[in-house]
Amino acid sequence: MIDFSLTEEQELLLEQVEEFMKRGNYDEYFKECDRERKFPEKACKDFVEAGFHCLDYPQEHGGEEVDLVTIVLMKMKFFELGWPVLTLPGGNLEIDNILTYGTKEQQDTIIGLAKSGIKPYTLGFTEPQAGSDNSAMTTRATHKDGKVYINGHKTFNTFATVSPYMMCIAREYENLENPYKDMSWYLVPLNAPGVKISVLDKVGCHCMPTCEVYLDNVEVEESALVGTRGKGFYQLMKNFETERLFTCISNVGMAQCAYNDAVAYAGTRVQFNKTIGEFQIIQEKITDMKIKCDNMVNMLLKCAWKKQRGESISVDASLLKRYTGKAAFEVIDDAMQIMGGIGYTNDCRIARLWRDQRGARIYAGTEEVMVHSSARSLIKEALKAAAK
Amino acid sequence: MKIVVCYKLVPSAESLTVKSGRQLDFGSAEWEIGPYDLNAVEAAARLKEASADNSLIALTFGGDIIENSKLRKGILSRGPQELVAVKAADAGQADGYRTAAILAEAIRKIGDVDLVLFGEGSGDMYAQQTGVLVGALLGWTTVNAVNSIREADGLLEVGRNLEDSVELLELSLPAAVSVSSDICVPRLASMKDILAAGKKPFAVWSAEEVCVQAENKTVVDSVLAPEQAERACIVKPADDEAHIEAVVNQLRNFI
Repeated sequence: MIDFSLTEEQELLLEQVEEFMKRGNYDEYFKECDRERKFPEKACKDFVEAGFHCLDYPQEHGGEEVDLVTIVLMKMKFFELGWPVLTLPGGNLEIDNILTYGTKEQQDTIIGLAKSGIKPYTLGFTEPQAGSDNSAMTTRATHKDGKVYINGHKTFNTFATVSPYMMCIAREYENLENPYKDMSWYLVPLNAPGVKISVLDKVGCHCMPTCEVYLDNVEVEESALVGTRGKGFYQLMKNFETERLFTCISNVGMAQCAYNDAVAYAGTRVQFNKTIGEFQIIQEKITDMKIKCDNMVNMLLKCAWKKQRGESISVDASLLKRYTGKAAFEVIDDAMQIMGGIGYTNDCRIARLWRDQRGARIYAGTEEVMVHSSARSLIKEALKAAAK
Repeated sequence: MKIVVCYKLVPSAESLTVKSGRQLDFGSAEWEIGPYDLNAVEAAARLKEASADNSLIALTFGGDIIENSKLRKGILSRGPQELVAVKAADAGQADGYRTAAILAEAIRKIGDVDLVLFGEGSGDMYAQQTGVLVGALLGWTTVNAVNSIREADGLLEVGRNLEDSVELLELSLPAAVSVSSDICVPRLASMKDILAAGKKPFAVWSAEEVCVQAENKTVVDSVLAPEQAERACIVKPADDEAHIEAVVNQLRNFI
């Protein structure tokens, strides 16, 4: 049986989110952060004080372990109410990774940071010559006298200026033939000697610093290894499906934010002596936007539900990322069109959503890579089904 | 200290619609905990949390809506340890006296209550009568418009903002105290509190088993929405100083 209704507890939690956003009255502040390219520290501090980040970590670490669907619903609501992309404190992905691969000590460190609302680490796999093709990475881990020395150049590191660590993926150069069996994860403190960080100048996502990180003979202990030496690529694949699910929450929430703003505007903006919502050409946009929003929400929640049940979401997360990245951008773009000139000014939050969502079609795996990571499995599945 | 906090479930103001003849339509109204009562609930929760010996019970009087489990979890997620709801089919027509009489008897039935807290007024009629009437009916120390509250050596220290001064009072218990809405900001319930709320005990009592004799003392002729008036637009908006002068002159005329 399929049940689309929320539980009373979920409804109450979402009401608390609405109340929090109403009390905080963050619209102007988020506008200022976007304009001045600032991480929304004040809003994040309030978020942590209210305890919303406690849903991200498990009960044995003092958190409020609840089901993943509820977490997704809560985060989606924050984005629907205008929270800037990817800046919610805590970190499901970081915690998911460290609980899967980290030692007890690493788990305590990372979850300890998440508990204070700090983004524990930036993911370091992209390099200038290794974007979608992770196998082309050249960052090297050298083992000498019981220490590990990291050398390389990482790029598009989200939050490197506000996170204390980088989860750095490096080649061991022990298996030269097969780079996929030659990568390892190291937890590198970003204040270590030899680390240099510079911030990239992007089109949007201004509240979320994206950086280049240079690692020059950065020394870490052997105990900084996360997971199994040489298995880093396979760990990365698992990370990717979780990362896709979590980044898609903001796609869907931001689309709903733009939809709500645009529809309310269409209902009140008068031109030619009637509201623009009375023109069928605007009605058509609203209808198609709503269909996309509903599809995105359903797909996102189903994917979260599958992960919650322990099922693989490797194909689902890729389909979700491909669909919601583009559909959300189309919804926001239509919202901007409905708003007219106002929507194209930075005084209107739809302009921020439009710039930010364009980035979401590229980061955390491009739409094109999502085809690569899903279609082959879909064909395999179809052949298996046909052979039955 | 055994504390009771009273609250009323009311139709949310935003969900009300006005029909022709200024009649209010409650048909599609969404119900909520009275917004002013939430301040009392928070003040009560803080008092309860100040000492491990304190306990807190939420008390309400209402119609069928009191059985709504989401609203029940909503109140229990904000600090009270249990809930007593007194139900009467005609609770919607109860005036301040009947409501207060039923609440006072319910407080007697709960037993050994040291302090009962109220918000400054209900979220619908905002008559500001219930707290003081309950206090009078119980014969307890009764104070309203309280904006600070603290337990000290078996007494209650409360503050009231008067026109030109702050009045500090020491109250002996038992007491009935109505707090103003600036006493504290109601908390946001955490998911842990929300999940725990469903497991907290609650009782539904019928109005008859609590209090047999409690008739309305007032008669309501009608409840109407205010008349809508067109804006007079005596002074049109402008940036110049003459325009400011015109506004000042108009204000002087009114005074």
